[in-house]
Amino acid sequence: MGSVQPKIKSKVRCVDGEVGEVAHVIADPLSLDVSHIVVRANGTERQVPVSAIGAVRDDAVQLTCNVAQFSGFPELEREDYVSSKEVEIPHLEDRIRVEPGEVLVPLPVLEKNCARRSFFAGFIKVIGALIGLPLVWPVLRFIMKPMYVPYDNHWIKIGNISKIKTDDVGVQYIFKKSFKDSVLEREEDKNHWLVKASPETLKKIYRHGDITFYDEKGAVVWVNNQTVPYVAFSGKCPHLGCGYKWRSHKTRGQVFLCPCHLSIYDATGMVLDGPAPRSLDVLPIKVAASGDIEIIDVEYKAGKKEQVRIA
Amino acid sequence: MAHPVENLSSIKLAWAVAWSAFWTGFPFKLIVALLLLAGQVHPWEGAGLVTLLVVSIPIDIWAVGLTARTVFLERLSMEIRGPVGVSLWWQGAVLGALVLGGAYYAVGTTVAVGQKVAAAIIALIKKFYPALPIAEQITLELLLWTIPTAIVLLVFVLLWLHLFGWRVKRVVVASGQTSSASFVERVRQWDYARVPADPTLVLVSFAGVIVTLTVVFWVLLPVTTPTPHPDYPLQQVQKASKPVKPEELINKTEATLKKAEAVLAALEKEKSRETTKGKSK
Amino acid sequence: MNAIFQKVYDFVDERIGLKTLEAKLMNEPIKGGSRWAYVFGSCLLFIFIMQAITGMLLMFYYIPSADHAYASTQFIIHEVDYGWFILSYHFWGSSAMVVMVFAHMSQVFLWGAYKKPREMIWLVGLVLFVIVMAFGFTGYLLPWDQRAYWATTVGVEIMDKTPIVGDFLARFLKGGPTPGQMTLSRFFVIHVMILPAALMGLAGLHLFFFRSAGPAGPFRGTTEELKAKTDFFFPRQVWKDIVAMAAVFMIICTLAFIEPVQLLEQATPDPGEYHPEPEWYFLFLFQMLRWKIFSGEFGQFLGAIAIPGLFLLLLAALPFIDRSPERNIFKRPIALLSWTVVMIGIVVLTVSAILNREFLD
Ligand code: FES
Repeated sequence: MGSVQPKIKSKVRCVDGEVGEVAHVIADPLSLDVSHIVVRANGTERQVPVSAIGAVRDDAVQLTCNVAQFSGFPELEREDYVSSKEVEIPHLEDRIRVEPGEVLVPLPVLEKNCARRSFFAGFIKVIGALIGLPLVWPVLRFIMKPMYVPYDNHWIKIGNISKIKTDDVGVQYIFKKSFKDSVLEREEDKNHWLVKASPETLKKIYRHGDITFYDEKGAVVWVNNQTVPYVAFSGKCPHLGCGYKWRSHKTRGQVFLCPCHLSIYDATGMVLDGPAPRSLDVLPIKVAASGDIEIIDVEYKAGKKEQVRIA
Repeated sequence: MAHPVENLSSIKLAWAVAWSAFWTGFPFKLIVALLLLAGQVHPWEGAGLVTLLVVSIPIDIWAVGLTARTVFLERLSMEIRGPVGVSLWWQGAVLGALVLGGAYYAVGTTVAVGQKVAAAIIALIKKFYPALPIAEQITLELLLWTIPTAIVLLVFVLLWLHLFGWRVKRVVVASGQTSSASFVERVRQWDYARVPADPTLVLVSFAGVIVTLTVVFWVLLPVTTPTPHPDYPLQQVQKASKPVKPEELINKTEATLKKAEAVLAALEKEKSRETTKGKSK
Repeated sequence: MNAIFQKVYDFVDERIGLKTLEAKLMNEPIKGGSRWAYVFGSCLLFIFIMQAITGMLLMFYYIPSADHAYASTQFIIHEVDYGWFILSYHFWGSSAMVVMVFAHMSQVFLWGAYKKPREMIWLVGLVLFVIVMAFGFTGYLLPWDQRAYWATTVGVEIMDKTPIVGDFLARFLKGGPTPGQMTLSRFFVIHVMILPAALMGLAGLHLFFFRSAGPAGPFRGTTEELKAKTDFFFPRQVWKDIVAMAAVFMIICTLAFIEPVQLLEQATPDPGEYHPEPEWYFLFLFQMLRWKIFSGEFGQFLGAIAIPGLFLLLLAALPFIDRSPERNIFKRPIALLSWTVVMIGIVVLTVSAILNREFLD
């Protein structure tokens, strides 16, 4: 065996008598051998080099010095050592086992000054900022590019009023919308609902007067005149954005009914029942003399009491 | 008895100082180069080059001083009285200019002659072996003239190192003091050389400088690529489809001017902040 | 504020032993002290993380379809704010990765750090090297421009010459007999899913083996010297690592400014005026294949498969062939000489390939 393996709590004997017991073992981090044992004697812990050990027996360590010489060994400066549990030294614990105690390893000289350690630690953070910070703004802008595009205020032809036969009945208009989607030219089927409003219904819908539509800068895009009896409701349910339908209800008769959370709206778009926070959204509409209907595909945020335009 | 410094080869000594000094200063110069590039100024020509060189001088002086002290302490166990950065730097720079001048001439000549000789050798080979394929010919020719060039270049590098090492030794002999500290103590000492007297102040001002430079970087960094693709139609279409409306144009120019003014003002503010920070240091 | 932080810390510490973990991670004594020469591995990790981040950002806009790959890459370059910068960073980051791999391998080789007991680290490292090259090769196709298309065509044809599995391998990569959408899909999946997963796993293993064997330390110096200079991984080595990382970061940014990515025309099986060429770090191999001795079927096999393959095998066998414990490179003349010859060879061939362009116009 190359290295001595004294056990913790073994008695330590000098040539002229017992002095105490083994409290710790100190290892050399390079050679992974025991370099010192720490002997606790009368409350003080002394560092005894391995060279002073004569023999290691099962329960005792025999030193080659006498008691007087023993008290000449330096006391242990605990702060100059770290426990092997706090450092990563490969194979150290395979080589030296001192259960149930600790192996101590000398703290490198360069690590002894706390202020300097913390300077380097601070420096690491500052340099980390040098790498991370410059990227923050470009990356944010990069991600945000398509997020706040201007509203699409194009008029889209969605059909002809000849399809509507009865007043105050929801009629679905399905139309194709083509648009630029990043680099793709895409076309989607969309749907909105039209109601040819009877005078009372129209009055209810326009209870706050004409309906004005704005672009993102607050400029007026279009005004829906309350004299036009044709009203377009956005196909997006104001609750959480599902697609609703015109259905007959057991007790309420013909209504707009959303299958998702059962919001119910009447032909004026007002909420009769269900979780919806606001009435159906009216869209800008133009009806030509030929009866062709054009709308602007305005989109509002769902789930809000007020209309918040997003597209 | 010979001074202990004489036991060390001047080339090794100069290499130890110059190599680490180069890398010590490198990151700082890189920051400057990066900012210049972000502002689309090339740091290898014109005003960019001048800026970079001027900024490099104090950086190099500091770096040479720091590494020289470390090397002296570590290899020679010598401490130096007074600052060494400036004197080492200017001697190195003067020697560098001289050697560089010589090297420029010598390397140029070697390249010219070497290429001619290489071409002649290739022609000769082709006479006996006309089927010499092009790929082999290129590599052969390249080797034929780059090997002598590399050797000449190496000689000049060694020459500069030798001369610089000689000057470094003079400095050590003139103002060096043998350190009585143990090796462990000396290691601690040169480690200390990297830690400022007031760490917090240095860290905070360093962080401030980094934040400022980052903002400058953000202002300078172009949003769209500085090199548009000739076949990229999107931009061209956009440009072509815009009819010129004088009113709009005027408004736009005014807006851009205002923006530029704002940016300038911001920059100005930054600058004044920076200088005050410098002073407070 | 600090009190809350301390509470959270204590909560976690009590459950997973955070303090011990931290201590074990940070307090690794480095024999002979921290050094600038040891930064390459950490720099690689940093470059990889940045590649992962910029790669993910690019995927916000990139569309891996033969119809849209080119257009979406152009969109990133010309339309998305700072897209050109992110893409150029990713592009130059890949070059930096290759350069750093060479630096890291050279350092380990010259320091003799592959020797016992670190053979396993070296072997895993070699696999990582191959993965990095594969990253470069697969990523090169994704913009789907002429450069991409032709480099891939040639590269896959080279792999086709591997004995026995070559044909399968080529068809596997192309997703058929000729390049097309299936090729792009496969390269995309390999580049963004398979290779990153493989790299993360193996890099973890590499680090674990490294921690198990411990750092090799300098190849010379007395015990007293080594002990005096010894410090912990944290903070001094971490400090050196992070300064090197910042330098690498700035160099990559600089390159992105000097030479932002510009696409050629969209990929098509008609090369037109374009002279196909692989990415610069494959140029030396590419140029080698132009030599007469590597012509013909056998020559091709020799130059494209056998020599690189044998070279890799030789590297893998290195710690088992070179078993002398001597680590000082100045006492290992054969090692020093072969390293120099290989490096000069790569540089000379790369420059030759660049000079060779003149003879094509
Ligand atoms: S989404 Fe229509 S009710 Fe919830």
